[in-house]
Amino acid sequence: MSIPADILAHRELLANLVMRNLKSRYKDSVLGFLWSILTPLFMALIYMVFLRILARGVPMTEILIGVFAWQFMVQCVFNGLTCITDNGNLIKKVSFPRVILPLATTISNLINFLLTLVVQFPLVAVLLGLHGQHINLAALAVPAVIFVHFFFCFGIVLFLSCSNVYFRDLEHLVNVLVTAFFFITPVMYSYAMVEQIAVAYNLPVLAQVYMANPMAVIISAYRALILPDAVFPLGMGTYAGAAIALVFVFPAYRLFKKLQSNFSDMF
Amino acid sequence: MNAIETRNLSKSYRLQGSEPPTMFGKLNRVFRREKPKLLWALSDVSFDVRQGETIGVIGPNGSGKSSLLSLIAGTTAPTSGTVTANGRISSLLELGAGFHSELTGRENIFLNGAILGIPKAILRERFDSIVDFAGIREFLDMPVKFYSSGMYVRLGFAIAVEMDPNILLIDEVLAVGDTAFQIKCLARIRDFQRRGKTLVLVSHALQTVEEFCDRVFLIHKGKLVAEGRPAEVIFKYLKSYMGEGGGLHAVEYGNRDIEITDVKFINPSGGETGTFTTGEAFTAEVSYNARVRVDRPVFGFAVKTGNGFYVFGSNTQIAGYKLDSIEGQGVIRLKINPLTLMQGNFFLSLSVHSWDHSVQYHRQEDWYPFVVKNPTREPGIFRLNSEWDLVSKD
Repeated sequence: MSIPADILAHRELLANLVMRNLKSRYKDSVLGFLWSILTPLFMALIYMVFLRILARGVPMTEILIGVFAWQFMVQCVFNGLTCITDNGNLIKKVSFPRVILPLATTISNLINFLLTLVVQFPLVAVLLGLHGQHINLAALAVPAVIFVHFFFCFGIVLFLSCSNVYFRDLEHLVNVLVTAFFFITPVMYSYAMVEQIAVAYNLPVLAQVYMANPMAVIISAYRALILPDAVFPLGMGTYAGAAIALVFVFPAYRLFKKLQSNFSDMF
Repeated sequence: MNAIETRNLSKSYRLQGSEPPTMFGKLNRVFRREKPKLLWALSDVSFDVRQGETIGVIGPNGSGKSSLLSLIAGTTAPTSGTVTANGRISSLLELGAGFHSELTGRENIFLNGAILGIPKAILRERFDSIVDFAGIREFLDMPVKFYSSGMYVRLGFAIAVEMDPNILLIDEVLAVGDTAFQIKCLARIRDFQRRGKTLVLVSHALQTVEEFCDRVFLIHKGKLVAEGRPAEVIFKYLKSYMGEGGGLHAVEYGNRDIEITDVKFINPSGGETGTFTTGEAFTAEVSYNARVRVDRPVFGFAVKTGNGFYVFGSNTQIAGYKLDSIEGQGVIRLKINPLTLMQGNFFLSLSVHSWDHSVQYHRQEDWYPFVVKNPTREPGIFRLNSEWDLVSKD
């Protein structure tokens, strides 16, 4: 069976697993889903205050968009790592297309992300309003970026979930890598700062290489579409980053397919 | 048409523990150029299962029975060979596998149902009967982590029986739960058989296998060593393989002046067997070899259930059967008629000792397994001869 047909045949299972992920995430916590909004808000505040101290002002609106988008990916990374290993019992006992598990993880995080956008958009609009600005009309194209963002995250989840079954060091390694990834991605700063640095060192290629990072492209795209004066650099780097974001899911799925037949032997 | 076909089916596992799945473990192996150690759980197994057949799979612990079910179910892939199943497969491998402890009973019914491939419409329609069957109505909106283990298993089973596959795989599920639960399980199996479904049943409850199965596969060290009619294959298993891989705590001691050399179980028609029927005669022919002349030896026997419950014991002294003296080889016959044990796996222990119990010549505890099947519908572990009389009536 082909992948889409396989998934379609198990759509009830997929829907149930997504519900399970969403329902169980904030069970027993008083604030529940509010944490999905509070966490990035607190992070955005911390970054803004910290950067003010460093005397490099970054608009709160840019940080907000960056942090919410970043949260989606980070949640996918950490849920994705364990979405096979935490379901060892299921894998061992029940036969179903294994790809349902990473897909359910990515979809539940996407839904979570979409719900946070409901808060993020008005907040950004209010902050822009304070400076007499408003959200770009181009923001209508945000779903296209979400689409790319989703496929990149799905690729990451596929890659991490199957690798972690055979290589448990990944859980520790990923902690370090995510921190590094965070600093090379414009989450708490803007692309404009990267350009300034590239100019200061007289290395324009640096800005190009920087944009080959899919997350840099995705976050810059969100900002450029929503905010009136955010920069979206077009160039080889950006095309490469966007291409990686879109196609990463294919090799990740190939790897997943290769490794999945022996999942149940590892638990 | 065949429901299941396997051809040269083999499965090997890397021995876990000898190779930690960590970077250090991997590097260590690479540097020392070690080949991973393989354990062949199944090797070269070929068979066909016809549509509507009920197959029993028996064998000692660790012989590969569960691996075989996993391969048929498709939860694991063969190392070599093929397995083909025609029709939708469901497995009753572990009740409540896939429950999410944080979710409520209600939520888990739909989640677990989806995992087992039961359509949502059927779950909705059967919701009340599932809840009543499991007896969890008051606890429906409570997370299942607060359920008792009994409630957990009952709910798992109540959902699982709503499956309607063409092929049902059952792995030792019948061993859990109380008698009422087991009777429900068995009734469900009968129901499946009536509807012409294919069943593969892994069990150590040999009387269940004998009662339900059309054919039995005996697996030993990953190989299919026997296949055929239940009574014959079970007899072969009892005779040759039972007790390997643990589970049988047989002990043997004594000075061997008299040695018990062999025991044959004989059925009422005179043939050698491993299976007896409640209410018919039980006969065991015990061969001995007395190396020296022994005066007034005492032969004894005891019967225990498969899980160690001491049912009965007696000896020639208590029974008032005096043996004057024996020397050399001979056969002594133990007859129990009628056999009042009910269905189950049992063990026969034998002993020879001196008249005053001061010398043990030879004693074999839990040495000889046999199976009892009960054709009546009476439940219980022991048959009590009972009759009814209506004494007065208005």
